[in-house]
Formats: sequence, C-alpha cells, structure tokens
Amino acid sequence: MTILLIFAYIFLILIGALLLYMTFKTDDRRYIYLAVGFYVIFPVIVTLKLPIMLSPEVKQLYDAVEALPDSSTVMLTFDYYPSTLAETEPMSHAALHHLFRKNCKVVTMTTIPLGGPSIAERVTRELAEEYNKVYGIDFVNLGYKANYVAVLKGMGTSIETIYPTDNSGTPLSEIPMMKDIENYGDIDFIFVVADNSIVDYWISIVNAQYNNPVGTGLTAVMAPRYFAYIGSGQMTGMLGGMKGAAEYETLLQKPAAANMGMTSQSLVHLFIIFSVIAGNIIFFMGKKGKSRKSA
Amino acid sequence: MSLIEYTQIWLEAFVTLSLFSFLYKDNPCYKITEHVFAGLSAGYYFGLIWHAVILQQMIDPMFDNGKWWLFIPGILGVLMFSRFSQKYSWISRLSLAFVMGNTAGIFLLSELHGKVLPQMQSTMLSLGFENGLGSFVLAVIVVAGVISTLTYFYFSREHKGLLGGVARVGIWFIMISFGAHFGYTVMARISLLIGRVQFLYFDWIGSIINLFS
Repeated sequence: MTILLIFAYIFLILIGALLLYMTFKTDDRRYIYLAVGFYVIFPVIVTLKLPIMLSPEVKQLYDAVEALPDSSTVMLTFDYYPSTLAETEPMSHAALHHLFRKNCKVVTMTTIPLGGPSIAERVTRELAEEYNKVYGIDFVNLGYKANYVAVLKGMGTSIETIYPTDNSGTPLSEIPMMKDIENYGDIDFIFVVADNSIVDYWISIVNAQYNNPVGTGLTAVMAPRYFAYIGSGQMTGMLGGMKGAAEYETLLQKPAAANMGMTSQSLVHLFIIFSVIAGNIIFFMGKKGKSRKSA
Repeated sequence: MSLIEYTQIWLEAFVTLSLFSFLYKDNPCYKITEHVFAGLSAGYYFGLIWHAVILQQMIDPMFDNGKWWLFIPGILGVLMFSRFSQKYSWISRLSLAFVMGNTAGIFLLSELHGKVLPQMQSTMLSLGFENGLGSFVLAVIVVAGVISTLTYFYFSREHKGLLGGVARVGIWFIMISFGAHFGYTVMARISLLIGRVQFLYFDWIGSIINLFS
C-alpha cells in the first residue's frame, strides 16, 4: 500500500512538472487548466488522504455549539446561492448533524431568494430523517423574506410579524415549536452559513443590538475579512471555506463531502505554489539573460 | 432512480461541461448555456419578487388584513418607474429620498455600534507582558498594523520622512493581507471545481453505471 502511495505521488509530481514545462514552452495557459483539472480529479478517483489540521476559530465554533444545553433553540441560516454549494452545503450539513445530535430545536431561514428556501428545505429534511426529527416539533423552516435588513431588525421584536407563515404556508401560530419562540430573546445561538455580506448585518444588527452569539460558516473568499470579528469577540468562531467545513466534519467525526475535497485542495495548492516559484525563477533568469545580452 | 432524476442529472452535467468547454475555447454550447442561465435567472427573479414582495407583502395584507396604508410604499415603488421618462424622472427622487433617509437612519447606528466602536476597542490592546510573550508580540503586531495601515491612507501630507516610513510599513501589512485574500480566493475557486467534479463523478457517472447495471 505504501509503495503504491509513493508511486502515486511520484506520478502526480511528474505530471505536474510535465504540464508546467509545456506551459512555459508553449506559452499556452490551457496546460495549467489541465494540470488543475488533473489534480482535482485524481484524488476523487484514487483515494488519497492527507491529514487535516484544526484551526482555533473552527474549534471555537464547535465548542460554542457543544456548550449549548440540550434542547436549546438555534437559528441556522442558509444565506447562500446554489453557485457556492460546494463550500457552503457541507457546512450546513455539519451544523445540522451537530445540532440534531444535541437535540437542539432548529429554526432555519434564508435571506437569499435564488435557491435559498429550497436548499434549506432539502438539507434539513435529509438530516431530520437521519435523526428522526419531526417538523414543527424539532425544526421549522421559515423560508425567505425580501429586504434582509428589515427582516433581521424585525425579528428582534417579533418573528411572527416578519414570518406570519413558514416556508410551506402554515401559520406560525399553528406550529408547536414556535409557540415558545417570539424573538431573538428566545434564541440561544445563531449559526450563519453565508456566501455574501449579509454576515455584516448579523453581526452589526443582531449581535450588537440583541447580544445573540453569532457563529459563521463562510466561503473562503470572505473568510480573511471576518477574522477581525473573531478578534473583537463579535463572532463566536468561523468556518472558512471548504477547509473550515472539513475541520468541522473531523471534529464531529462525520467525514463527508468537504473532507473528500481537501486532498484535491492540497494538491492544487502545492501545484500553484510550485508554479509561482518556477514562474518567478524563469522570469528572473530570463531578465538576467537579457541584461547580459544587452551588456 | 426516476426518469425525472435522470433528466435532471444529465441536464446538469451538460450545462457543467458546456461551461467548462470555454476553458478550451469559445463555442456554441457555452453560448447556449450562458444565455439560458441569464434568461432563467431573470424569469425566476421576476416570479419571486412578484410572489414574495408584491403579493405577500403588499396586495395580500391590504385586501385580506385591511392594512390599507401599504398603498403608500406601493406608490413610492411605482414612482421609481418615472426614471424611464426624461420629463418626469424627477418624481423618482421622492422614492429615492425615502430610501436614502431610511437606510442612513438604520445603518448609522448599526455601523457605529456594530462595527466601528467594537473594532476600535479590539485594537486597544495592552502592551504588557501579563499574558505572556506570545500575547505581547501579537498585540504589538496588531497595534503596529493598524497605525501603519491608517497612516498609509492619510493623504493630507506627502509621505516623506517618518510619515513615509510608517506608511511603507503599512503597505507591507496591506500586501500580506492581499496575499491571504489571494490564498483564500484560490481555495474558494478550487472548491467550486471540486464540487462540480464530485457531481460529475458520483452523480452523473454514477447514473450511467446505474442505468446499465
């Protein structure tokens, strides 16, 4: 097995070197695309596993959810478009695994019209079935409402005013779980999974004005900007991109889609680092050669 | 697996591969997919706004619950269409003035209390050794980073001498931040590719195997 793995890695390095050589030789960037495609596809077909290190911000979020008393009420948001499903859906899956495992009451909602309500419905129902959770008693999907600022502010006073009905049109007054949930005061934790700047408002409106702890799962593009909120204590942990989701899956001991994608991530990153270094060396060597010629 | 599920998966696979085909070169499959996506999104948004905003938040409450005053925001919304006429476009400013006033009122408080003040507070760190050498070093980096970066964006004096030196340190901090952003962006884009590859391998190829087994 070890020998096979060594061969696999040698094969990967040789392919990468060959495609990089072809890129520099022909000046055709499509060889780079081919290399990236190869490094993404290879670990999916041939099982290669690289270790996943835990980040403090992921551990912080996991610990915060873990510290919630059983049967706490948690609001889980699906504030993302279908275009970022690869990063965000594993986070929602992991969050729901954790919340249902702890018997939390889960209120789901979205501020994204394109796909948000149906993604929330599909993912929640899928996980609820696994944990034998009943709609209306263990979880509720509020669905989508337009104008997110008004929605976020309004729920501080009354959730029912903003969402008179759930996603399928049932009045909230007829849903047993919602009888004890009036506003943010009845929600113990807010788990925001988002691919856009709605997170700013969850922090600046809900956390700042209503003191609800907010933990987030964000796409990797957004993650660097939001580290400042962890430092200031306004955000209780964060999952940054697919890596964050993979770490959360690892902590839950439920490896799934994000874990599967991390080997591809690592290989592509190694290739990009190697390409940047090789590109710079060739650039400076070319410059040196030119200056020698002109001298 | 039902016929509908097969059709859905095959259609999704066709769209994915058509979009990826642009990496080789522009082609009719890519063009068709791009146009279908634009048309679908516009249609979906129109239907959604009609249902979730106009019907659910205006017409239904007005006629079912007697909230007649909702016709006021309705009229303000209709006034926005006056922008299409050169002669009457000024009328839309009434609606815009309402939106601007409303937005400024909401965000003034939330931005100040939710962002500016807590972020300022979190950079006011103790530069003592009471929490150990590690915390001291981190605090120095944070304080130096904030001051030098802010200095870089101070344009009322020429960046020369001490001001220039501090601003140069600020540029280094900004560059490091750009590097972190770039690294995370690479991860985000590769994640999307991984998602598509996982779909093609497990769902699409899986459906083909399923079909023949």
